[in-house]
Amino acid sequence: MSFSVEPVNQETVIIRIGKALDFRNASEFKSACQDQVRKGVRNFILDFSDTGILDSTGLGSIFSLYRQVSPLEGQVVFASVSRPVQVVVQLTRTYKVFRQFPTVDAAREALV
Amino acid sequence: MASYSILVVEDEHTLLRLLEYRLSKQYDVRTAANGEEALDKIAERLPDLIISDIMMPRMDGFALQAALQERKETRAIPFIFLTAKADEQSRLKGMRTGVDDYITKPFDIEQLLTRVERLLERANLYQTQLDARIGEDFSKRLMPKSLPQAPGYRTFFHNHPREHGGGDLFDWTEAEPGVYFITIGDVMGKGLQAKFYAFSFLAYMRSILHAMLKTTHSPAELMTRVNQVLMEDPPMEETFASLLLMRWEPQENRITYTNAGHCRPLLVTREETKVVTYSDLVLGLNPHAQFKDTTIEMPPHSALVTYTDGLVEQQMRSGEMLGEPGLMKVLSEAFDQPKPVEWMLEEVLNNSIQPEFQDDILVFWLERLQKVDERPSGPRWFSPFLDVTDIHR
Repeated sequence: MSFSVEPVNQETVIIRIGKALDFRNASEFKSACQDQVRKGVRNFILDFSDTGILDSTGLGSIFSLYRQVSPLEGQVVFASVSRPVQVVVQLTRTYKVFRQFPTVDAAREALV
Repeated sequence: MASYSILVVEDEHTLLRLLEYRLSKQYDVRTAANGEEALDKIAERLPDLIISDIMMPRMDGFALQAALQERKETRAIPFIFLTAKADEQSRLKGMRTGVDDYITKPFDIEQLLTRVERLLERANLYQTQLDARIGEDFSKRLMPKSLPQAPGYRTFFHNHPREHGGGDLFDWTEAEPGVYFITIGDVMGKGLQAKFYAFSFLAYMRSILHAMLKTTHSPAELMTRVNQVLMEDPPMEETFASLLLMRWEPQENRITYTNAGHCRPLLVTREETKVVTYSDLVLGLNPHAQFKDTTIEMPPHSALVTYTDGLVEQQMRSGEMLGEPGLMKVLSEAFDQPKPVEWMLEEVLNNSIQPEFQDDILVFWLERLQKVDERPSGPRWFSPFLDVTDIHR
């Protein structure tokens, strides 16, 4: 299963994470992001509305993306964070790094 | 999973296209018209298997095979000769040079497909077994051979790595008599790669600790340095880790810790189980991340329990993960057991969907006894996976 990517503008995309981001599909997520970065995308809105599982491998792949775009003045933001994802974000204190928005639309407005 | 890549080397165009057509239904196929072209293609990217004709212009199959034998990264690629030469002489020559299989034209395409499949399967099996062995070796090296001990305390440790588990690590050192530094962490990722990263990470940790303990005993200062190294050093670029670093002073009944996004420790007493809440950002994300020391006083008859995420991510029969609240409940019940960690893990498994853990499990239990002279050294229990005999230091 591939990740759905919705372009917002030349520099910004929304990626729907779907039900799970874990050791099974983390490398797929990484390559999907890589493709976007190569095309010049700098800002990533990650939509977690349906996400039930985010494990440490999945989180690691988001961290890789962050390390890649932050030197380019890019951003990775979390939108519509589900409860299981919120637990992980709290535990790892990553809310200090990834801005959170209640909805995808709110994130889109803030970034564009 | 990405499909296997096969390189077909054949100068006869029609046959080449036929093979490409049939094989590409299952595999990622590249083609070359002679040995020289094949070497170029192999230099671009190593295939998982090569099917080659013998008689070709420019560079024939034998010369190609010989060239591959010279480089160690190409030596082991499964190689099938495909040729009209049905004579025993070239068959023997082929076998001598390390060819894995030999098919004479005209051939049955189904037979070729079966052999390709079998060779790939075999190569894959070797790789899996090798990964498992290396992984097991790393796992053992990431774990301690003994545990810290002090009068009035008992400690338990359990570790059960899984083949496809992640990069859990545990380490301790006695910085000066009666002052212990204990690290527990999880390097992100899965499988052999994570274990390898965890192993390199542990080596970094140990050298930083070794160098810095002369000047500071603050876990937060040590953590800040570990994070900087992780951020600045190119080989560690893709490494992210959660880490708990604790300074344990048993004579003071005090633990000072700093937590970089790791699962929060739990302090268990007979009355209640409390979450040791304060923590900072995971390692490897922000070079300027700040870390803070927090001190916990260990009351008489209490246990500090630290662990990695495999435990709380265990899927329970309730349909949810065990989670921190679930673990707290089990710990309260485990507290008075003679072997609390063993008891607790069994209890979790009894209520899991599956009768085994799905990820690496690591638990460290540090208990202050009611009185100093009570049970000076408690029973030790290690997982059978680790053949640890010397647990007293």
